[in-house]
Amino acid sequence: MANVSVNHLTFSYSTAQEKLPPVLNDVTLTFSDRHFSLLIGPSGTGKSTLLKLLARLYPSFRGTLQSGTIAYDDQSLTDMPADTVSKRVALLFQDPDQQFTMDTVTNELIFVLENLQVDPAKMDAIIANALAFVGITQLRDRTLATLSGGEKQKVALATIVAMDSDVILLDEPFASIDTSSRQHLIERLVALRDEAGKTIILADHDLSDYQNVVNDVFELNPKTKQISRLSESEASKQFSRFASAKTSFNVPLPKTTTPSILNLQKVQLTTGDRTLMTVDKLNIPAGKITLLTGENGAGKSTLFKALTRLKTYQGQIIYETHDIQKLKARRYALQVGLMFQEAQAQFLGITVAEELAISKKASHHPEFYSDQKIAEMLAAINLSNRGDQVVYTLSEGQKKKLQLLGMLITAPPVLLLDEPLKGLDLDSVATVAQFLREASRQLDETLIVISHQLTGLTQVADYHLQLANQTLTYQEGLS
Amino acid sequence: MNPSLKLLLSLLIAVEISFTRSWTVNLILVIASIIWLLINRVAYRKIGLLFIVPLLPALAIGISMALWTDEGLDFILVLITRIYAYVFVGSIVTLTTSLPQLVASLEQNAKLPSKFAYGFLGAFNLIPKITAEVSIIRAAGKMRNQPMHFWSPTLYFKAILASLNWSENLAEAMTSHGFVEDQPRTHYQVIKIPVKDFYLFGSLLLILQILLFMIHLP
Repeated sequence: MANVSVNHLTFSYSTAQEKLPPVLNDVTLTFSDRHFSLLIGPSGTGKSTLLKLLARLYPSFRGTLQSGTIAYDDQSLTDMPADTVSKRVALLFQDPDQQFTMDTVTNELIFVLENLQVDPAKMDAIIANALAFVGITQLRDRTLATLSGGEKQKVALATIVAMDSDVILLDEPFASIDTSSRQHLIERLVALRDEAGKTIILADHDLSDYQNVVNDVFELNPKTKQISRLSESEASKQFSRFASAKTSFNVPLPKTTTPSILNLQKVQLTTGDRTLMTVDKLNIPAGKITLLTGENGAGKSTLFKALTRLKTYQGQIIYETHDIQKLKARRYALQVGLMFQEAQAQFLGITVAEELAISKKASHHPEFYSDQKIAEMLAAINLSNRGDQVVYTLSEGQKKKLQLLGMLITAPPVLLLDEPLKGLDLDSVATVAQFLREASRQLDETLIVISHQLTGLTQVADYHLQLANQTLTYQEGLS
Repeated sequence: MNPSLKLLLSLLIAVEISFTRSWTVNLILVIASIIWLLINRVAYRKIGLLFIVPLLPALAIGISMALWTDEGLDFILVLITRIYAYVFVGSIVTLTTSLPQLVASLEQNAKLPSKFAYGFLGAFNLIPKITAEVSIIRAAGKMRNQPMHFWSPTLYFKAILASLNWSENLAEAMTSHGFVEDQPRTHYQVIKIPVKDFYLFGSLLLILQILLFMIHLP
């Protein structure tokens, strides 16, 4: 039971050394008890910040609360004793890799319950229930490091179910989750609201599947840095705007005569003792955009790692006419580039300008990515005038955009993109899709894109490759 | 034996043999440790490795003492066996106790503040991530024609940066999972020190004292 009210809240990431403009400015709103509230707004504008403030992680870990208060019912969050905060509120993070302290699923759940001073005799039952509630009983004894991003998010939700906090905050929890898991988890959240009386506050920029389940929609205005509750009609306008961005997805199958650049022959990929996929023969068409889809944990990212020689495999992968294992590692890395799922892993420079300069120097198409062209691209994704900013201080969405731009400018003949749209708002998605189309049509680059979010990509994809039943097959559309 | 007690015992033994000069006692400690390891079904391969790891420092110290000092064979033997005794006695803690067990025991039995215990455990669980991160950093470098060798500053800068970032994330994750510094916690697995462990601890120490100070072995 909790109404969450925010009163005249102003927060900035200012430190003692540096003064920064507020991220949230004079925000006043109430999230109602037992409501499923959706918080929307462009990426990098402060949705995560608000959630971390509500979870009392900020300002203790970062930033300065300039004014305002947060209250759960009538109790001020600042005055709440530390050991009762978790009983009131729990937060599921955006990044699946930064939620856990312990090594296995069970140990993490035990750790959480011990923190909450739960009677040890009750722990087994609570853990079994929480895992069953999310539908992941089979993950019980798995090591967290071996789980896929989607599986980790499910474990994180099970942890929150076990914590039994009144208010559940979720920060873009489905960014790396496939559609069916996403629907399943949203349905579980609804059950938490309806059956357990939880208050749910979820930040997302992908609005699919929420229309009929949420009670309230709040929008963060990036200009005023304020948040307002949308009226019914305004909300449905947002939903329909999102739905209309999705078009039917119909692509041809590649012909046997289609020239290919990468060939897989009798390739088998395994992780631990589990076979991820067996591919007898597969060609990747040259100079085209191929969309790669598949369930969480099916092995899409692992395939990319095999293609870039970051993971061992059985069988043969051939680039043009050479077995990739026989090519010089340094030369091959310049031919087949990988945009990692985690943006930060890609960065080599310290500032935005340095990062772009490195890409420019390594570019296969410096004539196309001229300074003027780069400036235009930066402007199109709202990254202008940030040349001196340290890349690690960008928001997740901004990091993703910079990372993508860096790899596009490098323009290797083959570019593998692992979730390039993660954390991007709808406007950025359209722009980014346009960049991809340019790279493919004008520079003849071969792009393979893994994405759970298909909005925007369906218009530019040439082929659809599906990873299902432990193998890869081309599909004519999206089933 | 209880992990905390085991750690304490091995530390006490290490301190004692640092200040005493008896190669036979050192040797007895090595043999006793091997028996302990065998009883606890530690793989032969791991025990074999314990002989090889200290070989180089032991030989080095032995040879240099023999060539450049006037110390007799006895003292050189003491130094060599002492290195082996440290390694084998230490291995009783490292090879027969898992880190989570040790940390849990230190928290519950030795009253180590839980923030150290879990901070340490969390950091330990990051090690595979750091290894993976380094190979990713190097791959990212190669893809943009910035190959990195193990001496490249960028590699270390990025690895340290990633670790710093993770440490902050880890602290946030622990907090959001209900961890509060200096607050009592319950324990799923209560680790007790059985009375027989105290007896074992006491008698082993006593035997060592007898060997060192009453029998006067060479």
